[in-house]
Amino acid sequence: MKITYPHMGSLNMILKTMFEGINVEVVEPPPVTNKTLSIGVKYSPEFVCLPYKINLGNFIEALENGADTIIMLGGIGPCRFGYYGQAQKETLIDLGYKFNMIILDPPHGRLVDFLKELSSYFPDVYWKDALKAFIFAVQKMIIADKFEKKLLILRAHENRAGVTTKIFEYYMEKIKNAKNKKELDSIYKEGLEKLRQNATTKREIQLKVALVGEIYLMLEPFSNLDICRSLNELGIEVTKTDFLSDYLINSAFKLPQRVEFKKYAHGYLERDIGGHGLNTVANTVKYAEKNYDGIIQIFPFTCTPEIVAQGIIAKVSSDKNIPVMSLSYDEKTGEAGYQTRLEAFKDLLERRRLKNIKKY
Amino acid sequence: MSKKVGIPKGLLYYNFYPMWKAFFEELGAEVVTSSDTCKKIIDDGVKTCVDETCLPVKTFVGHVIDLKEKGVDYIFVPRVISVERHRYLCSKFLGLPDLVRNLVSDLPPIIDMKIDFYRGDDFMKREILRVGKLFINDVSKIKDAYEKSLKMQRTFECIVREGFSNTEAIKIMEGEKLDANSKGDLKIALLAHSYDIMDDYLSMGLVNRLKNMGAYVLTTNMIERDKIEKGAGKLQKDLFWNYGRDILCSGKYFIQSKEVDGVISVSAFGCGPDSITDDLLERDYKRDGSIPYMSITIDEHTGEAGLNTRLEAFMDLLRWRKGEIMA
Ligand code: SF4
Ligand code: SF4
Repeated sequence: MKITYPHMGSLNMILKTMFEGINVEVVEPPPVTNKTLSIGVKYSPEFVCLPYKINLGNFIEALENGADTIIMLGGIGPCRFGYYGQAQKETLIDLGYKFNMIILDPPHGRLVDFLKELSSYFPDVYWKDALKAFIFAVQKMIIADKFEKKLLILRAHENRAGVTTKIFEYYMEKIKNAKNKKELDSIYKEGLEKLRQNATTKREIQLKVALVGEIYLMLEPFSNLDICRSLNELGIEVTKTDFLSDYLINSAFKLPQRVEFKKYAHGYLERDIGGHGLNTVANTVKYAEKNYDGIIQIFPFTCTPEIVAQGIIAKVSSDKNIPVMSLSYDEKTGEAGYQTRLEAFKDLLERRRLKNIKKY
Repeated sequence: MSKKVGIPKGLLYYNFYPMWKAFFEELGAEVVTSSDTCKKIIDDGVKTCVDETCLPVKTFVGHVIDLKEKGVDYIFVPRVISVERHRYLCSKFLGLPDLVRNLVSDLPPIIDMKIDFYRGDDFMKREILRVGKLFINDVSKIKDAYEKSLKMQRTFECIVREGFSNTEAIKIMEGEKLDANSKGDLKIALLAHSYDIMDDYLSMGLVNRLKNMGAYVLTTNMIERDKIEKGAGKLQKDLFWNYGRDILCSGKYFIQSKEVDGVISVSAFGCGPDSITDDLLERDYKRDGSIPYMSITIDEHTGEAGLNTRLEAFMDLLRWRKGEIMA
């Protein structure tokens, strides 16, 4: 069995660690490139959301590289994601590929049951090894996310453009290949130190933006044209409101976070509407109240829950007097006009800060 | 004086109007609807909603604005979460009252009744009381009103199964006399959300155009449950959108039964669920190859001329296959 799966930010690192920990051969999907995207676009329904298209591109590239088993997450709705796998499977069959597809519906209750289901696909694997591999994978994920959070602040202060990103990528690769917890910790320490050394620039006006929106767009930099990097390089500190670790933990357990979201969104959106619609509204309110300079919502073109959220957070923006910019992405989102929008948003935020300084 | 409840003529109006009307009238309210969809209503909706919103939701918002301008005491904007066990509607329905409230200013109070049968019907009993109490403080009367409204819904659904479209069935229940489905000789399954084909303005009179070209039109709502369930047997995994499931499974059923001459699916530009179900249907029909299939997308810019040409070509194809036209 040669396993593959879709890319989604650091998911690759985690799944690779986990499967290799139980001696299952992995065919990593090649890194997402424009080629991946155009393959995906070619075989996907025109109006399906962007993650679907990129996933499909990943599958095709990995199958071409010899993978024979695809692992995909499922769902019970109401969002399209819950039926992605089924539709993609039919597409790949029509394209003539021979493969096996394992679609895992997210756990409704206990994580243990979920892991048991997963392990039923791998009868030769010892339960104990699997658990060990899983725990180490989770540790990596937590470190990787922590490291990225630091990056999104520090890169706004980098001394020479591009250096921080290089350092980050170098250490992420090391984290990916780390063999044990001890190694992991020391890589993190060293990497953070390096990031800090190269990020000591200070500004009169330091802008802070929170990034909200659809989960895949948040986690996979390719899909959002690496918006965090663009914002950082404009000197803006970024707080991303979703990380893989939060996502997995939240879909595995019904956590207090849900309650927190409902509290923040109250008065604007009174229930979960699928996808990350509720998160988007809640986080917009939350970071508006934390006095961030602005909010940016990112989501795939035609994303149903985010379109509902977009209408609603426009109201939050005027009620709480905070600029909100909504950006939707598809394969046609060009770099040119797009960069101008980011710069214009930055100018707007700066002007507002200047006005406030004069007031006091 | 009785209170005026406005019901927007959009989205699930076409599936539940008789029921909703009966409920509010039994509670002593006066029910008014918005006007038929027209350019102004669509323009208002388009202006108010964010760009990427699907046309049916934009239109619905236009209808809400129409009611606001007419002046009513309440506007009924239900939060329809689920109309059958373990199945949902799309996110837009789940957040509809929130969306409307945040988009449209100076609204009269909204009745955001939650309609949720996801875990069975216990929940509804409480919700009915909550809404009923806006009008009367009499639990047994409210329960009666609900029972009566359910009865109306059953009658409505029976009329539709006899071969009347949802719009026709609504008219019949309002006392109009109509003849059953046309005498068309080509049986066409029109697979779509009711609001995509029942709103004559949005669909540019699609159903009547087809009938005039000699089609006997079967809409998703006319198809018997057991047929849909038969189609569902062919699914890899049960589908969690009820209307999307009806569409997809009717389509799957007709591939087995071959009881229609052609299949047309209609969806709104940018519709989330339809992007998936349409793709699956198209694949099935292509693989099978025995029944012509066409899919139509509607948006604010769809032109009548283009639509007519496509329909005519499709009908010609069906006639040619029946041997009525020589190539
Ligand atoms: S959340 Fe948005 S992008 Fe994700 S599956 Fe749903 S519609 Fe598509
Ligand atoms: S099902 Fe499609 S057309 Fe209907 S509200 Fe949802 S996105 Fe719009």
